[in-house]
Amino acid sequence: MDRRTVQVALGVIGLLEGLGAYALVLASDHESRPAGVFVLFILLGWAFIASGLVASARRPDSRFGWLLAGVGYAWLLSALSEANAALPFTLGLFLNSVWIAFFVHAVLVYPDGRLDGRIAKVSAASVYAICTVIQFLAVLWFSPERELPDCAGGACPDNLALVSANHDLAAGLAATQNGLGAVAGVGTLIVLIRRWRKASGPLRRALGPVLLSGAVYMVGFLVLLGLDLTVGLSDNVTTAAVLSLFATTPIAFLGGLLRGRLEQASVGRLVVELGDAEPGRLRDALARTLHDPSLELAYWIPETASYVDGAGLPASVEERSGRVVTIVEHGGDRVAAITHDASLNESPALVRSAFAAAGIALANERLQADLRARLEELRASRARIVEAGDAERRRLERNLHDGAQQRLVALSVALRLARSKIAADPAEAERVLIGAESELTAALAELRELARGIHPAALDRGLEAALRALTAREPVPAELHFDLTDRLPRAVEAAAYYVVAEALTNVAKYANATHATVEVSRVDGTAVVRVTDDGIGGADISDGSGLRGLRDRVEALNGHLRLESPTGVGTTVTAAIPITMGLG
Amino acid sequence: MGIRIVIVDDHASFRGTARALLEAEGFEVVGEAVDGATAIAAIERLRPEAVLLDVQLPDMDGFEVAARLGGNGSSPAVVMTSSRDAVEFGTLVADCGARGFIPKADLSGDALTALIG
Repeated sequence: MDRRTVQVALGVIGLLEGLGAYALVLASDHESRPAGVFVLFILLGWAFIASGLVASARRPDSRFGWLLAGVGYAWLLSALSEANAALPFTLGLFLNSVWIAFFVHAVLVYPDGRLDGRIAKVSAASVYAICTVIQFLAVLWFSPERELPDCAGGACPDNLALVSANHDLAAGLAATQNGLGAVAGVGTLIVLIRRWRKASGPLRRALGPVLLSGAVYMVGFLVLLGLDLTVGLSDNVTTAAVLSLFATTPIAFLGGLLRGRLEQASVGRLVVELGDAEPGRLRDALARTLHDPSLELAYWIPETASYVDGAGLPASVEERSGRVVTIVEHGGDRVAAITHDASLNESPALVRSAFAAAGIALANERLQADLRARLEELRASRARIVEAGDAERRRLERNLHDGAQQRLVALSVALRLARSKIAADPAEAERVLIGAESELTAALAELRELARGIHPAALDRGLEAALRALTAREPVPAELHFDLTDRLPRAVEAAAYYVVAEALTNVAKYANATHATVEVSRVDGTAVVRVTDDGIGGADISDGSGLRGLRDRVEALNGHLRLESPTGVGTTVTAAIPITMGLG
Repeated sequence: MGIRIVIVDDHASFRGTARALLEAEGFEVVGEAVDGATAIAAIERLRPEAVLLDVQLPDMDGFEVAARLGGNGSSPAVVMTSSRDAVEFGTLVADCGARGFIPKADLSGDALTALIG
């Protein structure tokens, strides 16, 4: 059975239960109150069942709706004590307070269905104890004939559970129920007040009606209890007062639902407001419409697959306690993410309409944010290029100092030593000179390596020559497919060369690959360089400065650098650089 | 015997040739160290008369090593050396308490003796 069928079946059961309860009242030979009062009684039960089922349909994950419906079922079930037969009458005696337990429980868990905190748990537990265990004990000593005015003179059926009629014990247990009830009532009030004080704006709007009527009921209950204990109230007054106080809850809840619908009218105001909104005021307009001042807006930038805020700075979008993220699409494309108070999910229709109304405006603001993000990235990229230049100069200085220069120093000292030895000890002088020669060879090799790092000589003879030289000396076998006939501008050739060099260095260092392919082609007016390996993948452009520096270099030429590196599949680095004549 | 000296430099090739040169010119090279910390420990233990101390060391620079050595009483004569030129260091050589500076390429027993006095 699907959920809808269950809901309908439960509704029908509630309807029949109400009719049955009314039939019991009409047929009862021990009910002195007019039957009209019980129309209200039945309607109240139905109201609880209906609003409970509506609530559970809207939030199936929350216990609140089921508890509210439970109040209605238990309420109608208490009509069993109107029965003329002994068995249902006795059952009615046992069950006639269960609805109170469900009711207090429902108020305590509103709206998310959870009992938060020790006071809430103790209050719920004690009210269940009062309405089940203590009630059960009380019935064992409860003689309807002596305790209930309507039953005087044997008008009621027997209490089948009666152990022995004991007025003192029954009254004592009733007093215990009242005392514990007062404690649970105060506890529930404390929970409600605390929840109200802690609640965010939108949550307060959702909580308001139900918490208020729950609180009014609790205060009313405590006042009535006080009056009953001090001056004594007639049964009819108590019943009428409890009924009218109790009746406010389903009405409040249905009112809350209605309020959600009415609020869609404010979406209309949003549309108008967006028409005159100044740039950047969209967040404020949405926050006002949804009554959530803490609402955050982040725009989706497809190219970088990330979010930025209105100023174009990177924004983090994540769900955290009490906050949920709704993705807004416009024309099928993701436009923005809105992080808002979780309680707005109580009004899904309002949120949907507000975001749909904001769609076009969001798409426009996203373009602005995108522009700002590009400017920000440009600024950052310029800073990185300067930093990379400095770092490169430092590296060159260190390499020169620690490498060739040290060797030449040692060579100079060795030559002086050899000269001083040559007359007295020619054999020793020769040994020193052999050492000096190997120092010189090493120094020359280091200088060559360094010079190639600064600018590969083969690049002067064209990109293809340079890439052939590069791939030939790579430790991982690399195949070159070079598909260009004309020379490219120098700046483009240099960028392409360094993309390949860095990518192949990464292949050798990290990829654990057996093979790499380098492809260079021309697509329309763009040079496309692609390096693919069959390694472990999992590379990230933000992991090291090498690829990020290259991306800056490529983007400085209006190109793009893309890295695809699915784990276990291999890595592909693709650079696309527009061939603009007049460069270098 | 000649002057007892410790050579402090992180480049093995320089330590090797400097040792050969200084020994050929009558010095007694009693120890070598590759960084500041081992240099200070070795000098306390070996008590040399002179130290040939490279400016650039992996853990601390030679000026700091010289300053620390100057603080403990019977300090040896420290001569700084580097493959860089003296002008790059300004007054740092004089300030750290060293006797003087010899560029690595100009190292000789005579140059050292002239500074140690």
